[in-house]
Amino acid sequence: MTRLTKRLALVLAIVALLAAACTGSDDSDAFKIGLVTDTGKVDDKSFNQSAWEGAQEAAAALGAEADYIETEEAKDYENNINLFVEDGVNVIITVGFGLGDATIAAAKENPDIFFIGVDQFQAEALPNLAGLIFPEDQSGFLAGALAGMLTETNIVGAVLGTDLVPPVVAFKEGWEHGARYTNSAVETISTYHPGGLDVAFGDPDWGAATARQALDQGADIIFGAGGATGNGALIEIASQDGAYCVGVDTDQWNTVPEAQPCLVTSAMKLITPGVADLVAQAESGEFAGGNYLGEVGLAPFHDFDSIVTDDMRATLDDVLAGLEAGEIDTGWPPG
Amino acid sequence: MSVPAGPQAPAETDAAGRAGSTDDSRRTLTRTVLRAAAVPLASVALGLVLGAVLIAVQGHSVLSAYSALVLGGAGDADALLRTLQKATPLVFGGLAVAFAFKAGLFNIGGQGQLLVGAAFAAGVGFGLEGVPLVVHLPLALLVGAAAGAVWGAIAGVLKATSGAHEVIVTIMLNFVAGNLTDWLAANPWQDRSGSNIIARTPLVEPSAEIPTWGWLPAGFVLAVLAAVACWFVLERTTYGFEVRSVGANRHAAHYAGISVGWIMASTMAVAGLLAGLGGAIESLGVDGRFEAGVNVGLGFEGITIALLARTNPIAVIPAGLLVGLMEAGAAKMQFESGVAPEIIDVIQALILLFVAAPLIVRWLLRLRDTDDRRLTLGAGWGR
Repeated sequence: MTRLTKRLALVLAIVALLAAACTGSDDSDAFKIGLVTDTGKVDDKSFNQSAWEGAQEAAAALGAEADYIETEEAKDYENNINLFVEDGVNVIITVGFGLGDATIAAAKENPDIFFIGVDQFQAEALPNLAGLIFPEDQSGFLAGALAGMLTETNIVGAVLGTDLVPPVVAFKEGWEHGARYTNSAVETISTYHPGGLDVAFGDPDWGAATARQALDQGADIIFGAGGATGNGALIEIASQDGAYCVGVDTDQWNTVPEAQPCLVTSAMKLITPGVADLVAQAESGEFAGGNYLGEVGLAPFHDFDSIVTDDMRATLDDVLAGLEAGEIDTGWPPG
Repeated sequence: MSVPAGPQAPAETDAAGRAGSTDDSRRTLTRTVLRAAAVPLASVALGLVLGAVLIAVQGHSVLSAYSALVLGGAGDADALLRTLQKATPLVFGGLAVAFAFKAGLFNIGGQGQLLVGAAFAAGVGFGLEGVPLVVHLPLALLVGAAAGAVWGAIAGVLKATSGAHEVIVTIMLNFVAGNLTDWLAANPWQDRSGSNIIARTPLVEPSAEIPTWGWLPAGFVLAVLAAVACWFVLERTTYGFEVRSVGANRHAAHYAGISVGWIMASTMAVAGLLAGLGGAIESLGVDGRFEAGVNVGLGFEGITIALLARTNPIAVIPAGLLVGLMEAGAAKMQFESGVAPEIIDVIQALILLFVAAPLIVRWLLRLRDTDDRRLTLGAGWGR
């Protein structure tokens, strides 16, 4: 046993030496993009994936190299950003508001590197850090306005991730206000996942059960917003004839095909083009720090195109104009 | 999870303690330690070999993956610091499980105990101002430890008075602790400064911060001291003897005049205290605050550590260091070689499987089953 241990130690030492000798530089002149996920995965069918697609889109357009690191633990954000810093990348994209502080600190330390923080509001502007933020309330409002017009029972539901995450609350407030805007008789049933951050976005069973409950209470159009939890709700609603569902973040027609039988639209925040645009700005030298307001909107209606009447479309256009002009109160931010 | 539980005479479990000054006894000690460590060490080696196969199958270089793992965990002062920071809550979590095991109790509640410790220590850390460090830091640690102890004691007292199974109760208390601390961080204790929208407390005052000396976090020193203290209490005190007696045979302990209820309740309190202290150090020494969601899973990893250490308090230290190193190095491994970081979880699971099923390892390595020192895990069920 002792001999084995000694040999093992020797092998490890040699390996470490070799590796230290080999970690030279591969300094090509190519523009390099690094992306650090939050504790979700890069193929999460949600915002990490959208951001990564934006990075890849930009890399293809600019002839740049793109790489990512998936964060395992929230405590590793700083270290993972530094891995890209040491690698000498030009742009670092950090995904999720949880990385906000680590991103600001890294941006201050590395003024030569551009940083893009998805969902990170910037209270004070740094020249090399852009926060890509979205008016989720407007996105939710548009979807709610459509729901208010589509519902026949005058009851609309929402199955949501936790209220510990402000964008989720913004989606919900917008959704409810939007529904009431187009249908003053509407009643709303909105339910947040009761668990902590660790489970709230990963509980499709709860999402399905809660969606079923809302259906039983008479809701005929339900908004699922909360990662896998929301997706569970969408898939449950798809099994109910005559009920509609609304997805979130991306066009979930593509990301959750099981929900297609009920999916009228999705309340989108267009992360992919936002990220791609900011990377292109960094490459061309037009990068401006501070907050960059990304676009929101409704996904195509796909199979449900025929049930959305011209009148409804006209109303949605009016709502969109009103939102953009700031004339409509979405209920968010509160007060 | 259940391993056959042989009644185990407490007096025999002492291995490291009998070290005398003569060469002979030292050699015996070495042999005893090696024999006890054979299965865990072999399990680690097997886990790494199978991990290497998985890495190779995915088409990555095993050499570059593992060397990046080691460099990322111990390649320079920063890497070492991160390894030690990650090992600290693992050691405390491991002790929280190992200590309860000694009384035949299976503490699944490390997560909840750690969370309340982390939250309440942070509460004291940012809530008090203008207090000198010599008062503030110990007070914050103490409150965190006390919160964990109360959380553990609930399960212990329920077990002692009503027979409510500690596994069920501690699992439920994990949920309660998770929601309670999330609520604290999102409501009364939320950081309202600037544009913060995250469910987290303000930063703790400098007078409540646990210092870091170069690559050595003071919290890790506390973890080592706690492990030694656990060993001492278990092996060198009357109380420890009573704990081990209850673990070996509850009924015999009762007939011997030991208050079984008191031992169970107090053991769970000590276990909770250890986990709570681990959480407190996390808030005061690593994160600088309490934030909802960032300590997820830390307490559960204590079960892995305790099993890997075969519930020996001293062995919890190297077990925690090993897992801490793997977790600290995982990001660099992913970065350098492209291996998904989940491979680390797979390797850990494999190691745990081998430790929990020592027959496989003994058969593979032709090790003789010489010692009678089997792991006692099953005592919590039934009886």
